[in-house]
Amino acid sequence: MRPAPYVTLCAAAVILDATLTPHIEILGARPDFAVLVVVYGALLLGGRAPIISGFTMGLIADSELPEYLGLNALALAITGYLASRILDHLVKANIFVQCTVIAGATLLRDVIYYVVYYRNHLELFGRFLVHQGLLGAVYTAVLGALIYALARALNWKGVTSGSHW
Amino acid sequence: MVSLLARFLRENRELSALIICALISLTLLALPSSVKNAVSFVISTPILGPVKRAASGAVELVRVRRENAVLRQLTVRLMEERSSLLASRHENERLRELTGFLIAFEEEERFEMLPASVVGMPGGRVLEGIEIDRGLEHGVAVGMPVIAPEGLIGKISRTYPGRALIEPLTSAASAVAVTVERSRIRGIVRPRYRSASELVSWEMDYVAARSDIRTGDQIVTSGLGGVYPPGLVVGRVSNVTEGPLTMAIAVELAAEFATTEQVFVVTGRAETQPGRGDRLAEIARSILASEPGELSIGQPQASGSDSERSGTAPDDGESEPGETGDASPPGGTR
Repeated sequence: MRPAPYVTLCAAAVILDATLTPHIEILGARPDFAVLVVVYGALLLGGRAPIISGFTMGLIADSELPEYLGLNALALAITGYLASRILDHLVKANIFVQCTVIAGATLLRDVIYYVVYYRNHLELFGRFLVHQGLLGAVYTAVLGALIYALARALNWKGVTSGSHW
Repeated sequence: MVSLLARFLRENRELSALIICALISLTLLALPSSVKNAVSFVISTPILGPVKRAASGAVELVRVRRENAVLRQLTVRLMEERSSLLASRHENERLRELTGFLIAFEEEERFEMLPASVVGMPGGRVLEGIEIDRGLEHGVAVGMPVIAPEGLIGKISRTYPGRALIEPLTSAASAVAVTVERSRIRGIVRPRYRSASELVSWEMDYVAARSDIRTGDQIVTSGLGGVYPPGLVVGRVSNVTEGPLTMAIAVELAAEFATTEQVFVVTGRAETQPGRGDRLAEIARSILASEPGELSIGQPQASGSDSERSGTAPDDGESEPGETGDASPPGGTR
């Protein structure tokens, strides 16, 4: 994937997270498009792309809640780095691997963010993780698999063929 | 030391990127709230602001469209309800009018009246008959006068078990013995036809020249001839033309034949007169208990046979006021 389509994907993820996700909530769980883009950045581009894109998307998302400015950026940057590291050792083309990595990345991002967010009420963090975090991770993984399958079906080479960035 | 660090960063580009991002993030987290707010404002205003506005506009558009669809359905339903309510109001007004007419008429004239609904109007260009939903089994007999709140309609010409046909005043054979209410001058009102199917007007015949008749005088049945009881409103004088021997008097009929929906068959005179309160209660009960067109106000008593009822009919040739040649004033105008 060339940088330009990836930047476009990042912009789309920011827009979707800010606009669409509140309307496609299921049982309180929302998909995380930023995590999806970060994982696919790690999958198709590797290198620093998922880290920098995660940081940037996180920073934009943080601007909505200034009290925690930088927290989303940190969580997504770490998620991008670890996703990139893990995928180096896995079969990237396997859709189940992708789903698992997406779900794990979503959970990781939630854990990093909400541990800080609920630092004084860790019981709330546990409740959130059980009730919404796990479901949100599954939701994001399923959505990611669907989008990836759609991109392959449409022969969207710019997205499904990788090159190191 | 610095060279070692630089070498490490060159060899671990991903890790170095993460470290730089983490340092920036932690620095941002450590900033004072006012600075965080300023930075957030700088980031969100040009990037997320327009996006959110556009998204909220799109969401609002969808919501407005849904609301519009619901409101359209609601409008259709309300229009239907309004139409139904208007029909009910019209019916209510009509029933009130009929009730008022019944109360006034029966109190003054002491007639037994059978309400009936118009169910058909056979005829071509000229109204030749009016069909009603009351017949032999309701006590209706040939010759009984039929009236509406506005005035005289005609008389029963044919009867069937559940139906009857009225010969209206528009019929070519119609002739009504009338009197001018103010001056008591008598005559006969009949229709004037230019051709077999072209009704021109109604005229009051057999009125001597220089009689005391003026435009606007009310004309009522005189009771002569025995067909119609006296005092039923027929119409008003619309034009008076003096002749050498007789007067040409044009009459405008009171009844609206084409639009009449409810009529009353005068089945006879009431033998006993219940109090006004009793009549009102009876009428109110009947109207409340009946569907439109099935009113039972003033129906003959169930115990009376058809022959008994016909015995009280105005055309039975027994004891109707008209046959005695009475000139007594009618009970009143309506």
